[in-house]
Amino acid sequence: MDLPGPFPVGRYARKLEEEMRRRARVSLIGEVTGLSRSKAQAYFELRDAEGAVPCTIWLNELEKLALPEQGLRDGTEVVIAGGPDYYRGSAQASPSFSFRATHIRLAGEGDLLARLDALRKQLKAEGLFELQKQLVRPLLPRTIGVVTAEAGAARRDLLAGLERRGWRGTVVWAFAPVQDRHAAPAIAAAMQGLAAQPQVEAIVVTRGGGSLADLWAFCDETLCRTVAMLRVPVISAVGHERDSTLIDDVAAVACSTPTHAAEAAVPLDCLAARGALDRSVVSLRRAADGAVGARTPHLVALARGPARALRRERLALNQKTREIRAASERGITERLGFQRRLASVVLERAVRRASGADMERRREGLRRAEVALRAHEPERTLERGYALVEARDGTAVTSAGDATAAERVRLRFSDGSVGARIEEDN
Amino acid sequence: MTDKPESYEVAIERLEQIIDRLDSGQAGLRETLDLCREGRELVSYCAAELDAVGEGLKELKLDELAAKLASSAES
Repeated sequence: MDLPGPFPVGRYARKLEEEMRRRARVSLIGEVTGLSRSKAQAYFELRDAEGAVPCTIWLNELEKLALPEQGLRDGTEVVIAGGPDYYRGSAQASPSFSFRATHIRLAGEGDLLARLDALRKQLKAEGLFELQKQLVRPLLPRTIGVVTAEAGAARRDLLAGLERRGWRGTVVWAFAPVQDRHAAPAIAAAMQGLAAQPQVEAIVVTRGGGSLADLWAFCDETLCRTVAMLRVPVISAVGHERDSTLIDDVAAVACSTPTHAAEAAVPLDCLAARGALDRSVVSLRRAADGAVGARTPHLVALARGPARALRRERLALNQKTREIRAASERGITERLGFQRRLASVVLERAVRRASGADMERRREGLRRAEVALRAHEPERTLERGYALVEARDGTAVTSAGDATAAERVRLRFSDGSVGARIEEDN
Repeated sequence: MTDKPESYEVAIERLEQIIDRLDSGQAGLRETLDLCREGRELVSYCAAELDAVGEGLKELKLDELAAKLASSAES
């Protein structure tokens, strides 16, 4: 090692002490953390998002500053004046570095606004204000997450706002302190916890009004960077209308009151939506009825057309039927008359045929027929000495074989009949 | 049955389109009846969504919800 020295450490420590105390005196702004007191001094760290320095102040100097009661406490934003100090220690005492404050005052609105302005410019330049605004906010979420103080009025106001909207879904509360040095990290953790729940569709972060110092947790750089990166839309309602915190800039929507936050979290007025839905039902029904109704007269006219034609045709048919019936009745009468006339002519001719020579010739023919018929009657034959052999049932027995088989027969003569037995001729 | 709308806003936007179209009087009979049927389905969906957030406010704490989800994931 080609370096100067080695020097005695005590001499080096004294040089360092002198060096530090020669450095320019400045004022710093930051948050007080880890405040403690010894008999002679007060110790604390002054901190912001980027770093911290250990600070000391002599108690007698602190008392002269006449800060308000409890003015210097953890979480307070202060402006301190002083410069770096190095205590070189001794053979027994340990060395230490601190920023030795000679003056402390509570940070005023102006100091905070100046810091806020610088932070705002930085985050905006990084594009962090736009990320949340690009997220889609559901019109009608079923579940919303809320980060607020458990005992705050903001909680009650938010619920009242939701109730007025007619929304009675699910609220997931993530309670967190909203005003001390633990507030910003606790709020950030609560929001990350809510965003990790799949059913949470929007997150409201809210607290009541206060001074910028009271609301300072909502200007915390780390918190605001966390909010900007969440994938769930965040609705901020921190402080009153005139208050503007950094979280308002990074959130999807910034509202002036918890009531407005309720409206932003549930954009749909459920009561009005029900009314609109009822009107839609009426419109649909009217359209459906109208579509049919408007066409009904035409359809009815079309439907009537065939009916009218049918009626006309039916009337015509009826007329024809009547005419035909009348005609047929007339025809029958005429035909009857004709037939009667025809019959009388035929009858007349028959009567004429039956009378006179014609009649005599017919009588002669009849007599000859009678004589011929009589010649063939069996009685005539019996009169000539023949007998008729009849079986018992009256049928004629016309052969010897039949007579033998019948055994008993009747012999009919012209003047009567007698029974006879057939005997074998030996 | 048409597909279930992806969200209330999508459903209500489509319903407004349908009613505008019907009010224009330009839809024929078949289209009118189809639109009315689709509109009635959308109204049913929207009414069900409103019912889902109309029955009664439920309040949960984040740690309760997280515990519930963890236990349901285990079972």
